[in-house]
Amino acid sequence: MSQINRLASGGRIDRSKPLSFTFNGQSYQGYAGDSLAAALLANGVDIIGRSFKYSRPRGIVAAGAEEPNAILQIGARADTQVPNVRATQQALFGGLVASSTNGWPNVNNDLMGILGKVGGKMMPPGFYYKTFMYPQNMWLTYEKYIRKAAGLGRAPTENDPDLYDHMNRHCDVLVVGAGPAGLASALAAARSGARVILADEGEEFGGSLLDTREQLDGMPAGEWVAKVVAELKTFPEVVLLPRSTVNGYHDHNFLTIHERCTDHLGDTAPMGPFARPARQRLHRVRAKRVVLAVGAHERPLVYGNNDVPGNMVAGAVSTYIRRYGVAPGNKLVLATNNDYAYKTALDWLDAGLKVVAIADARSNPRGSWVEEARSRGVRILTGSSVIDVKGSKHVEAARIAAIDPHGFRVTSPGEWLECDLIASSGGYSPVVHLASHLGGKPTWQEDILGFVPGNTLGVQARVCAGAVNGVFRLGDVLADGFEAGAKAASETGFGAVSGELPRTEKRIEEPTLALFQVPHDKPTARAPKQFVDLQNDVTAAGIELAVREGFESVEHVKRYTALGFGTDQGKLGNINGLAIAARCLGVNIPQMGTTMFRPNYTPVSFGAVAGRNAGALFEPKRYTALQAWHVKQGAKFEDVGQWKRPWYFPKAGEDLHAAVARECKAVRDSVGLLDASTLGKIDIQGPDAREFLNRVYTNAWTKLDVGKARYGLMCKEDGMVFDDGVTACLADNHFLMTTTTGGAARVLQWLELYHQTEWPEMKVYFTSVTDHWATLTLSGPNSRKLLSKVTDIDLSPDGFGFMTWQEGKVAGVPARVFRISFTGELSYEVNIQADYAMGVLEAIAEAGQEFNLTPYGTETMHVLRAEKGFIIVGQDTDSTVTPFDLNMGWCVGKTKPFSFIGWRGMNREDTLKAGRKQLVGLKPVNASDVLPEGGQVVFEPNHPKPIPSAGHVTSSYMSSSLGHGIALALIKGGLERMGQKVYAPTRDGRLIEAEIVSSVFYDPKGERQNVV
Amino acid sequence: MTAANVYQQRPDDSVKAESPLHHAGFNELAGKGKSGAGVTLREKKLLAHLTLRGDSRDPAFAEGVHNALGLELPAALSLSTRDHVSLQWIGPDEFLLIAPRGEEFAIEQKLRLALGEQHIQVVNVSGGQTILELSGPKARDVLMKSTSYDVHPNTFPVGKAVGSVFAKTQLYIRHTGDDTYELLVRRSFADYIWAWLQDASGEYGLAVEG
Repeated sequence: MSQINRLASGGRIDRSKPLSFTFNGQSYQGYAGDSLAAALLANGVDIIGRSFKYSRPRGIVAAGAEEPNAILQIGARADTQVPNVRATQQALFGGLVASSTNGWPNVNNDLMGILGKVGGKMMPPGFYYKTFMYPQNMWLTYEKYIRKAAGLGRAPTENDPDLYDHMNRHCDVLVVGAGPAGLASALAAARSGARVILADEGEEFGGSLLDTREQLDGMPAGEWVAKVVAELKTFPEVVLLPRSTVNGYHDHNFLTIHERCTDHLGDTAPMGPFARPARQRLHRVRAKRVVLAVGAHERPLVYGNNDVPGNMVAGAVSTYIRRYGVAPGNKLVLATNNDYAYKTALDWLDAGLKVVAIADARSNPRGSWVEEARSRGVRILTGSSVIDVKGSKHVEAARIAAIDPHGFRVTSPGEWLECDLIASSGGYSPVVHLASHLGGKPTWQEDILGFVPGNTLGVQARVCAGAVNGVFRLGDVLADGFEAGAKAASETGFGAVSGELPRTEKRIEEPTLALFQVPHDKPTARAPKQFVDLQNDVTAAGIELAVREGFESVEHVKRYTALGFGTDQGKLGNINGLAIAARCLGVNIPQMGTTMFRPNYTPVSFGAVAGRNAGALFEPKRYTALQAWHVKQGAKFEDVGQWKRPWYFPKAGEDLHAAVARECKAVRDSVGLLDASTLGKIDIQGPDAREFLNRVYTNAWTKLDVGKARYGLMCKEDGMVFDDGVTACLADNHFLMTTTTGGAARVLQWLELYHQTEWPEMKVYFTSVTDHWATLTLSGPNSRKLLSKVTDIDLSPDGFGFMTWQEGKVAGVPARVFRISFTGELSYEVNIQADYAMGVLEAIAEAGQEFNLTPYGTETMHVLRAEKGFIIVGQDTDSTVTPFDLNMGWCVGKTKPFSFIGWRGMNREDTLKAGRKQLVGLKPVNASDVLPEGGQVVFEPNHPKPIPSAGHVTSSYMSSSLGHGIALALIKGGLERMGQKVYAPTRDGRLIEAEIVSSVFYDPKGERQNVV
Repeated sequence: MTAANVYQQRPDDSVKAESPLHHAGFNELAGKGKSGAGVTLREKKLLAHLTLRGDSRDPAFAEGVHNALGLELPAALSLSTRDHVSLQWIGPDEFLLIAPRGEEFAIEQKLRLALGEQHIQVVNVSGGQTILELSGPKARDVLMKSTSYDVHPNTFPVGKAVGSVFAKTQLYIRHTGDDTYELLVRRSFADYIWAWLQDASGEYGLAVEG
């Protein structure tokens, strides 16, 4: 099919660059510069999809973001699918593949269309609630077919080959919209020297100036646009962003701009000189001032069968003619209530086509454009409007009748006029979305019959300019824009600017008449369907019904009818819908109010939201200095916070359990090696360091000598344990604190918080040294023998006692070695400046061969410490556990002279009462059983259900050293119940019986860590 | 001298050392890739890093630091530099000193001597962080992708140093020359930052210096 609707000349398209594309499997041709919608119209494609509820054929209605029907699926491959693209905002490129998002089995022959005709009454407003709720278990079935029939685009099923990124920007003035107001505004702001960003959703700057018949300085407006853009490009501090929709206006003048960098170039982003650039980019802008020059959307009139393809908004018709050289028909009927729409009739005449008639609802229009049309012989029917349309797949005729808008009635039988295009204009709605994103309510302005941006509530530092302000006359728009740009710049500290604005034509423009829904000679409920919201199939009758059923709040009407939902968020229909609801309720429009406006203004792809924070860069991964060695040893890794820690080191054929059993045995029998570098380490210095420890730890630190180390528990004010670790006294005023891996940052913050806000008089400083020190733990009866081969430190039991530290060289590198143990075995923790850790590790590994030195991971560490009953904060505790609940009262300094954090909390009535959950050991009666970790246990399995809980298992493992399962558990009154039984249900329905025992399973006297 | 434990933590230069990005192999990557790269990256590795804490409002502290280093205390959000030593303001009571490799022990001793009985903290953090130098005409664009801080020269002139969010973590950015910035990266985050920077500079072209 050739481009039957393409005009012989005109438009901003490049006729020397034909582009092929397909729509619903059929090939077509358009030109460079076309939007997809323009190319479809050029090819005479009428039906673009089927409607949501009634499955009626639908065509293109508008030319911009407000388009409700032409919502297409784009993408040539499974991995490049993009759902719900507005064809009006998608530039045409060669090879573009598009299809309807709805229409089952296809848009021209739709089964649901028949259902829709007979079953229209099946889907009144609220049909989800009314029709499909019973029987309830059928809902899922109903919904599947409703969704399939209605169709809302298909999510891609394969990974997107493109990348999306973010860019942070800051500016003095962000100008939103590059139409006449925005361009003038940007010019003023740029000339002042301010940092300016100009963003516009269109393919090129100019907005309405790209297709207006109005002239500037006696020249086509496009020439002025080119001149301004050229000047703006000369300013180094001006950033120009075409194809960039400002989608959200957030707190603190933070705005998000969605730039479609390469969507106009192809199915995927073309390769750049070094790498593939981002397909889309989200600009995160912090603007000191914002100029909203976002324009207005033209409203269609609401009349019978106004959804038949061939019904369009008047301004869009002008856009297709003048910008794209496309005339979507031959015989035009125009319905209007204002002067501006007459431009469309004049444009139509200029294209050499026939204007059948203009139906103007006003009784005696005499504006300049009206007179120009009249003088060119156009038939103008005043006091009239289109009230009905003939045609099923395309407009065939329009019925025009005299109406009384105030009485809401038809006053003449009217006549049917043959035509193939009906353009309607019901006035202009300022685009108040961004201005309302932070809750500012738009206010009704009666003279323009539209809502304009309301009070900013002090939360938006912005100026509005042009049509969004209710200023429509081109000369006034330019002046308003320039003034707004200058004002915004001066408010951010830049000087006054001047400049001549282009001369506009003088003409008489008359006011618009309030007309939203056009009356029909039948009552609305029985008249032909008068569509208000095309995307959601909401009719005037539906809104009437909603009101009749008691939905009076605009938010309720919206939710009951679906008015304003969907990907277009009711940009075309909302004001008409409000006006109809107001009429039915007998109130005026401002009393009715608008629904909330929320970001985003138009849909944003998930890719753009995620940016580069996806895949490998989704979350920072932290590694120790020994990572490369772990990888070489075949370690499996476990996430601990952001850290990647070796989990276990499987040998060939080993699973987790086999590897852990081997690693445990190696530590208990000989010596194992653990990378403990991830533990938090905080260097504490100052004369009050010791007293500070007294206050933040539950135990006492006054008597810890230089050279010694001590275990400490930390609580929050409520007395609940929140971290633990060993702290060593390095010098009188100098300590090294260790924390849990996951708690490092929050402990440092905690210390700083208390120092800065509660005890600022204390002389103490804290600095994190977590990353500075690498820590190698050697644990097992042979650890002393091994370490002695590589160090000059005296390791004799007398020279280097338990819970002390020494300095010396290990493998030739200065080290601090701590003799502490988390396994119950003789252990040394070797700390080396991380840069040198790899060399030290390699030397130790070499020396360790004769002892079968075995690297072990976190899983083995967990088993070994559980055998000893050592807690892991965050696993065996959960912010509801006091030191006493853990049977660790020995770690609470009850007689410290100054109180400490948590002391009061742990002495509340509730934390002292009997029957609290207490940490105990559980030993399964059947030695091969392992209790489910995290599972509940009960005392009386035969108790009628629900069975009261006895507590829960916090840690549970198979202990290969002991030959049976072991568990730690928080059991109600557990410490008083030694020897009693608990029962744990398992997923396979069994019941595991376990005995309550001491939490120390292995070496209860603690002799092994002192092995000589 | 304050009652602190001070000791030489670094072995002599004959001992093998691995900087945080040792395994990224910058030496092998140097000179590879297309010419005309918009961004150049190098690791200024194994330098002496010391955290210095003290009361910057106390003239005695500033005097002691000056006596030890010949450097004035930098004003908020700035950097003092002399020869190969820089002192960066981190907070009202915290500074970061960066000096050539191996000087940390001597400098700590000098500082402690000069500051006498004042309440201060000096901590060797050399093993825990590294500096990535980012330069070239597109270096600023890479920063804009990575941090919400305004890195325009009006607000971030040469000599300024700020801590801010960077990708999904935090670090310090030091503006050291027209198109040159230093990122102060914690060791454990170095791989993530390196991966992020390769990605962010991909479209501009990235050259690595050994």
